[in-house]
Amino acid sequence: METVKIKKITALWIVVVLLLFVVSIILGILMRLNQGEIIHHSPVTFYGNMTTHGLTMIGIWFVAGMAGVNYLMQRYVTVSLWPNMTGLIFTAIGVILLWVSTFIGDFHAGWTFLYPLPFKVMWASWATPMFLCSLTVMGVGWLIWSLGMVMQLLKRYSISQVFAWQHFGKNPKVETPPFVLISMITLVGVIASLLAAVVLLILYFMEFFSNSSFVNDALLMKNLTYFFGHTIANEMLYLGLAVLYELFSEVSGRPKWKTTWYIAVSWNLSLVFILTAFFHHLYMDFVQPEGLQIVGQLASYLASLPAAGVTVFSVIIAVYRTKIKWSLTNLLFFIGVAGWVVGGLGALIDATISNNFVLHNTLWVPAHFHTYNVMGNVLFSLAFFHWFAMQFANNNITERFAKTKLGLLILGGAGFLAVFYLGGAESIPRRYSNYPAEFPSAQVLAYVGAIFATVYLIAILFFFLNISKRCVKIMFSSSS
Amino acid sequence: MQTSILILFLILTGLALLVFVYVFMTSKGAKSSGGGIRNALKKRLWFILILFVLLGFTAWVTISKSPYYLFADEAPSQVIHVASMQFAFVLSNNSIDPDSPKGVSSIELPKNELIEFRVTSLDVNHGFAIYDASNRLIAQTQAMPGYVNRLRWKFTEPGIYHILCLEYCGMAHHGMRASITIK
Amino acid sequence: MCKDYVFIFLIALVFSTVNVTAQVTQNGWKEERQVYQKVFDAKLDIDEQRSATILQLAQTKPLIIAMVFTRCTGVCSPFLLQFKENLQMIEKKNFNVVVISFDTRDSLKDMAMLAQIFDLKTNPQWTFAVTDAIDSLSSSIGFDPVWDEKRQQFEHDAIAVGVNTEGIITKKLIGMRNSKDLELLIKSIEGAFSPSYRLPGKSNLFSCFNYNPQTGRNMPGLGLLFIAIPAVVTFLLVVVINLLTKNYRA
Repeated sequence: METVKIKKITALWIVVVLLLFVVSIILGILMRLNQGEIIHHSPVTFYGNMTTHGLTMIGIWFVAGMAGVNYLMQRYVTVSLWPNMTGLIFTAIGVILLWVSTFIGDFHAGWTFLYPLPFKVMWASWATPMFLCSLTVMGVGWLIWSLGMVMQLLKRYSISQVFAWQHFGKNPKVETPPFVLISMITLVGVIASLLAAVVLLILYFMEFFSNSSFVNDALLMKNLTYFFGHTIANEMLYLGLAVLYELFSEVSGRPKWKTTWYIAVSWNLSLVFILTAFFHHLYMDFVQPEGLQIVGQLASYLASLPAAGVTVFSVIIAVYRTKIKWSLTNLLFFIGVAGWVVGGLGALIDATISNNFVLHNTLWVPAHFHTYNVMGNVLFSLAFFHWFAMQFANNNITERFAKTKLGLLILGGAGFLAVFYLGGAESIPRRYSNYPAEFPSAQVLAYVGAIFATVYLIAILFFFLNISKRCVKIMFSSSS
Repeated sequence: MQTSILILFLILTGLALLVFVYVFMTSKGAKSSGGGIRNALKKRLWFILILFVLLGFTAWVTISKSPYYLFADEAPSQVIHVASMQFAFVLSNNSIDPDSPKGVSSIELPKNELIEFRVTSLDVNHGFAIYDASNRLIAQTQAMPGYVNRLRWKFTEPGIYHILCLEYCGMAHHGMRASITIK
Repeated sequence: MCKDYVFIFLIALVFSTVNVTAQVTQNGWKEERQVYQKVFDAKLDIDEQRSATILQLAQTKPLIIAMVFTRCTGVCSPFLLQFKENLQMIEKKNFNVVVISFDTRDSLKDMAMLAQIFDLKTNPQWTFAVTDAIDSLSSSIGFDPVWDEKRQQFEHDAIAVGVNTEGIITKKLIGMRNSKDLELLIKSIEGAFSPSYRLPGKSNLFSCFNYNPQTGRNMPGLGLLFIAIPAVVTFLLVVVINLLTKNYRA
């Protein structure tokens, strides 16, 4: 019974995520059109859309990863419905509160809501507490969900097993599946980032309710903001990777991947690097001690080693000169890994302090993080969605329009990203509702970006219709 | 600087994509499922080692070029105090009183002399980014309330340099600006 | 959820024990004035025979200039005393201290007496002086004492000004300050560069780092603990869940 319910709730998650994705893409396109002076929004509308776009995107791709991992986890452990259900209800309430605060209350402090901007009220005065409440509700819901999943894993595996420590030595007696290891590592990072949000929000509420008799420290608040923001954005990609480890070989008709000593070591190390890499967001705050700045650069560099040397290399090996059953699912995974690598290169360049000096908060930043979302993480999740929907299709329908869909996705994504990178190299600032006359190319680039984003949106709509049609069927089917 | 960064990125991206396309083609062309890579573990370890050395070398070269060490051994000839606020910069030769910030939004500075900017904010976080006469970002620091960031810079070319805010600070963020004329 | 309450309780505890008033003093802004400007090169009378200009004195070793007047019933004495004690704790002493009277009534004799009281008359690092150009000197360091006719006293700040060997003001300290701030001043006259600093006067209870001038590095503050909390609590949670689920695994 529980299995059927989890199947249905996963189907519901998929429909909700894709629906909100389409809305958020449209907001993104509107922003690029406004920057291209094709449409004319007031700055308040633009920055409000920017806030909604950023937080909704982070939220949906995080829950998409969680839902996928939660679904596949049933293969290894007994999964109960309630953490997942809590996550869904709290997310729904959180999104509603967020949208009310931005669309009706005009809250527009950006999704990073850098302290003390939310307190400099330039919107309805209730919008700030409502925005903070929206984050609290989502944070609490996700925290319960992640803790519930950790509990389910630990009911079956001991601490050393769940982190695959027995694989450090030779001939381990028990095998920890890679999926379990990666899920656990990622969930720990997720919990840490959500707890950072809890600390941050408590400090915000303390100042809010103290009537400014207590004032926070801006440097501490910025560190906490990026501990939360960077880490959760990073971990949602790793949730996608957990799904990839589980499904890539399976849909390719190849033997299942096993945990080896290097997989165990690299993922354990990843946890450390991910939790310290966020310091690279504060490079231009010279008040941060130099030691932490250097830790930021080294951790960002080191995080790429297990990613490239283990995960990417494994995908390459699995494909190289190997006859495999290519389908839309593993093609999406494969292209997603390529997108992730390209985004990683852009990120490594920006994580170098001396480059950050001339790239920080230019369009280079949205360029690189959009790369591993638009062409990486989204593709991992789409692969899962597609696999999930196909799995329950009554007849084995051929994947129609697969090439067209992929072609549009790649064309739209690549073009949209290319203009971001060019903009970054032109020193065009990010988060500008309108560009000053000094940047004559900025408007053109924004316009071109909007056109390519529309192509990407068309591809996503194809996926959306196809997948959600099946998911709705699953939701309303009477039996399994 | 930015152009070479872009070129480096394009080369690396091109190489990475070539590898992916090539690997995909070999899979398409594979006849049986036997193929694959030989001595995979050894090659993997070599790959990681090479990557580690490359990244280590890059870190070693670049960290010393970080802005925290710029002109650290020289004494500046002039200090410019910068107070950022929603939505303006106030520049002054004297320190700026937060209650009645006095200063200007455009100043003249000499060429080839070391200038120290002492940047802070009177309200929210802002960015203090210097764009050269051809509108290329050449230096920046953040303006954080309660803290002072010291950015040292030597202007070598005469012309008008624009200051823009590079940390989102509210609805007129994009309109926040100042300028420096170098003679 | 329970953990949130525990956390709030802990924070409340911290608050009840530490008096937090986020006060921004005006001194922080006054201290920034005149920095990197040249000090007025006043001619100082040191004793009956000797006189020298500030630049001449600074040429050999950088200076810390302190402004006092001998009839002061307020801050001057405690300031000088604390200043002297703080300096005794500092090992490297490659600089000199010049105490200058800003009261035109003060004679060389008065200043010699002051040196005597503080047991500094024979200390080669300390010089007590008067000058005829006190107004120009005061305005060049941003010092503005106001005469109070009723009390027959000057209304004034305690001030110490760092001047490097080129006669340039590198840093000022206004008010009674601790030895750490004094070390920062000394570092500045020696030409050491630190890329940033906190504005003084603000509550730094939750700041991530406190600058330690002795090592020239930032020391972890309470705020850093806050950054570490999420990771530590996560670790603890995993351990607790592990204990809770022990029976299921058996």
